[in-house]
Formats: sequence, C-alpha cells, structure tokens
Amino acid sequence: MRDPSSLKQQFLKKWILGLQVCGSGKQNMSILERKEAIKLSADIALASARDGRTRWSRATIANASKHDDNKVLVQHLLAPESESLKKSSIGLVVRDNKRVRCKKILKWSCCVKRVRKSVSQVVLAKSIAKRMVNRKTRVLKSLVPGGEFMDDICLIEETLDYIESLRAQVDVMRTLAKATELVNGK
Amino acid sequence: MINRALLPAGGGENMLHCTDMTVLERQRARIKWQQEQQQQFQLQQQEISYFTELADVFHQAGVHEGGLSEVVTRSVKPDPGLVDNGWNNDHVVGYGVGLPYNNGLGFELNYGAISRTSSCPPEAVAAVAEATVKGSESVVSDMISSGAGRESSKKRKVDKVQNNSKAVAEEDTRDKRIKGCAEQGESKITEKNNNKNSRNNNTNKNSNSNKENSDETSKDNSKVSEVQKPDYIHVRARRGQATDSHSLAERVRREKISERMKYLQDLVPGCDKITGKAGMLDEIINYVQSLQRQVEFLSMKLAAANPRLDFNVDNLFAKEQAFPACSINFPTIGMSSDMTNPAYLQFNPAQQQLVACCGLDMGIDPPDMALKRTTSAPVSIPETFLDSSCFTQTHPPPTWDADLQNLYNVAFDQGRQTSFQTQPFTGSIEASNLKMEM
Repeated sequence: MRDPSSLKQQFLKKWILGLQVCGSGKQNMSILERKEAIKLSADIALASARDGRTRWSRATIANASKHDDNKVLVQHLLAPESESLKKSSIGLVVRDNKRVRCKKILKWSCCVKRVRKSVSQVVLAKSIAKRMVNRKTRVLKSLVPGGEFMDDICLIEETLDYIESLRAQVDVMRTLAKATELVNGK
Repeated sequence: MINRALLPAGGGENMLHCTDMTVLERQRARIKWQQEQQQQFQLQQQEISYFTELADVFHQAGVHEGGLSEVVTRSVKPDPGLVDNGWNNDHVVGYGVGLPYNNGLGFELNYGAISRTSSCPPEAVAAVAEATVKGSESVVSDMISSGAGRESSKKRKVDKVQNNSKAVAEEDTRDKRIKGCAEQGESKITEKNNNKNSRNNNTNKNSNSNKENSDETSKDNSKVSEVQKPDYIHVRARRGQATDSHSLAERVRREKISERMKYLQDLVPGCDKITGKAGMLDEIINYVQSLQRQVEFLSMKLAAANPRLDFNVDNLFAKEQAFPACSINFPTIGMSSDMTNPAYLQFNPAQQQLVACCGLDMGIDPPDMALKRTTSAPVSIPETFLDSSCFTQTHPPPTWDADLQNLYNVAFDQGRQTSFQTQPFTGSIEASNLKMEM
C-alpha cells in the first residue's frame, strides 16, 4: 500500500483549494448545491492525487471536465500540473475506450452462438458460476469510474487502487466533519 | 587452518620445514594434503577434459572472439602446474577463465556446473557452453542445429540439451544457471525457432519419475514443459494438463487474476473466509458501494455544517503548515506539535478567541492576516517547548491525521484540562507568547 498519510495530506490540500474556488464563486448556495460542490471537489482532488497514473483517476477527471461548469474547478485543482494532465487524461481515456470498443466489436462479430446440448451437472454448475461472475464483474465495472472499458485483470488492479483512495477520502472527510462540528459547536 | 595458511606455492616440503609443528602434526598435515591433492587432481582431470572439450567447441564454432579459445586453452595449461597448490586450485582456475570474460558470460558459474555433471556428454557441454555466449546468435544457432540435431521447437535450447543427455538430475541446477546467465541469448534464439510444435520434455523435479530419457516424445499430457512466449513469460504447464498456447494463456490470466484477488482479500475487511471468485466480488462490490455512500453522506454533512463553505480554512491551513514541519522534525518537535494543538485550542479565552476569529472572520478579514496570526502562534510555541524539555506526554504517531485526531480529541477534553495541570508554568509561558503575538 502506498503511503496513506501523504495521500491524505495531498488530498486535503487540493480539496480545500477546490472548496475555496467553489465557495468564492456563488453565494447562497442551497444545501444540495453545496453538497455537490463538496463531493465534486473531493473526487477531483482524489483523482488528481494519483497524477494520472491510474485509469479510474483519469476517467473521473475526464468525466468532470465534460461539464462546462466544472471545468473551472478542474483547472484550478490541476493548476500545479497544469493543463497537460487534464488533456493527457482525457486523451488517454478516449484512446483506451476506443481500443477496448474495437476489440469488443471484433469479438462479437466472430462469436458464434453455440447450441447447447444436454450437459452434465458439472459443466452446468460451471457455466452458472461463470455467469454469476460475469454479472458481478459488470456491476463492479459500473461502480469503478471508467471501469466499463477495462478487462478483468486491469479492473481488479484499478479496484484495489480505488478502494485505497476511497478509504483515504472517507477518513479525511470524516475527521474534517468532526473537527468542524467541534469548532462550530463551541 | 594453520596448515593451509602455511602452504606456499612451492610445495609440501616447505611445510615440513616449519618448526612450529610437531612431527605428528606434520604427518597429519601431509596426509591430508595428499588426499586433497588427489581430489584436486581428479577434479582437475575432469576440468581439463571439459576445458579441452570446450576449447574444441569454441574452435569448431569459430567464435569470433578469438581470445576466448585462447583463454580457455591457456587456462588448461597452468593446471598441472597448480597441482601442488591444492586447495585454492579451484579458485585459480575458475578465476583465470572467468576474469577475461567481461562481457558477462558467467563462465565461472558454468564451470561449477560442469565440474559436477561428470557424466555429461560433450554435446551437452557444448550446448551449455554455447548457452553462455551472448550476442553471437549465428554461432549459437549453429550449435543448436549441430549439437542437438532435433527440430526446433518453442522450447529453449536447454531442452534440446536435455534431449540428449542422460544425466538428468543435474539438469535442474544447470538449467537455472543457464537461465540466469543467458536470458538474452535465449530470447533471441527462440525468436528464430520456427516450429511451434510443443515438444514436451522433462526438466522439472516434479517429473523425476519419468526421467528415463529414452522417451523424449511429445505427449501432450505426460510431462512438464517450458513454453516461451514472445514476451518471455516462463510458464510451466502442470502435469496432466493441456499445453497448447490457448490454455496456457488462459492459465496465466487466471493466475494473475487470482493473485490480485488475494491482494483484494487483504484490503477488503471480512474477505478472509470467502474463497470463491463470485463471493469475493460480491464483498468487493459491497465495500465499494459502502465507501461511496459514506462519501456522499459525509459531503452532505459537511454541506449542512457549513453554510458558507468556509471550513475554517485558515484554521486548517495553519495546522497543516505547522504539522508537516512538525512531523518532519518529529523527534524534537513532534510532541510539541501535539502540545500545540491543545495549547492552541484549549488554553484559554485567548486561544478560543483566536480560533473563533479564524472561524468566523474569513468573510471579513482578508485571509492573509488571519493566516499570519495563526501560523505565527503555533510556530513560536514549539520553541518554548523545546526549551522546557520536561515532558511526559505520550508521543503521537507521526501522521498528519493523527494530529488532527488529537486536535479534536483534546478539544473534547477541554473541560477537564488534566494534561495541563502538571505543567502550569510552561502554560503560562505560552500564554504570554500568545499575548505577545496577538
């Protein structure tokens, strides 16, 4: 596992930056807007803490950049690494997705539907298990950002990294929430 | 050991001239020495034979590095001269050959391997020797065709060697050494191999029972094989399993997946008992979903708690700037950073005002000023604490979030102030500092 505390430090710095950017913009935001802003800046900060080395982080940044209102935020957060990271992440995501899509199209075109004859119990059980695994893999792919375009091995690696980052994010947010609670409570 | 140390290059007679030893010791030493000599001599005979073979091999191969063969033959000659000098003969000979090979042939290693495989036929030796020559592809491929005399296959040429040889037990050791020595050479060679017929052969200890080497046939299921793919991942097909490339690729993929699943098992809590892929995936999905939900919930909470999205930024920035500095100098200031938090938050109205100012005034005061105020205070405090070194506080772990935890933990204890009653005077120093700063 990579150094968790440094990850948290990085994440927090960027997140606070992002929050400042958000907060300085509008006044009188509704609670939902605020929540979205918080979450968004947290996600982008988390993704940028990975410096574009993992696919899911690139995917989040790319997704965030798609919406115009978020672009400003993204730019600010990635300012140290500048536009290059954002562009590279978008470019990489597009390239990866294209490649995977082409592969899939090839596969589907070559695939032949097999007639299922009477199969033994073992084979049946195996196929059921396979189908379950496939179903769950699809669900996981929908959870991990940018996961639909990854193959199994990649997916598991990305999931590992994503879980680690999510944990750090949750920890930092929780302590921040408690701290603000306490400070406000006085 | 004294005897050995006293053995000069001249011979055993010198030993006898040493007056330190008794007659008995001298006799014993002489006997030992003679025995060693005999052993060495035998070894050397073998070595010489091998060296001559090697020399022949190299001559035949017409190795472009002409110096190679010379060195080999040269090294053979001193052997008789070194017969007297028993115990370090090994080293000398091996050394003599190994040294000039700065192109990393690792000849020394093979020397060791060769000396043990006494029953290896020359072809095997030739193949071994050639296996260590780097970069001379043509030579090596010639050796393959001539020495092995088999059709080329996907396997490495070492397998061909073993096609021929009868002494199989040593092959494992040699195998590994060759692997270590000549990865590059092999990879180039295997690219040239055309035939994709997978001849399975026995190289593994697992299949020791089948090592009557007459049956070097290509039964798919019977024996262990080594398959080399273009990206040089060495895959061992297990006994009784299919060995065509598709299933092997499948196996590699499955192994990779299961390896990564193991990491995930460590990461996701509660996954130790689950063994199936589907179950593990289930747990992983649940965990990821729960983490994501937590993030949503916490962001909602933060949004509710901060009507203006300010988050006591100055507060946090100040602490953040203080903490990295503190954690870097952990041994000295680490505990004082711990002290700074409680001091900062807790000490008295002065500090509470400070905090409150930070929290509320962001909108009013320009952030810079507030930052200056807050950063100056914590920075001055560590110095005072360095002076007063009589602390019995527990050391916090040098992590930043631990510091933040301490922050609000101590804030909880605000009412009690237990930690400060023991050091009231230091506290007063602080307070005075703070007042000065403010």
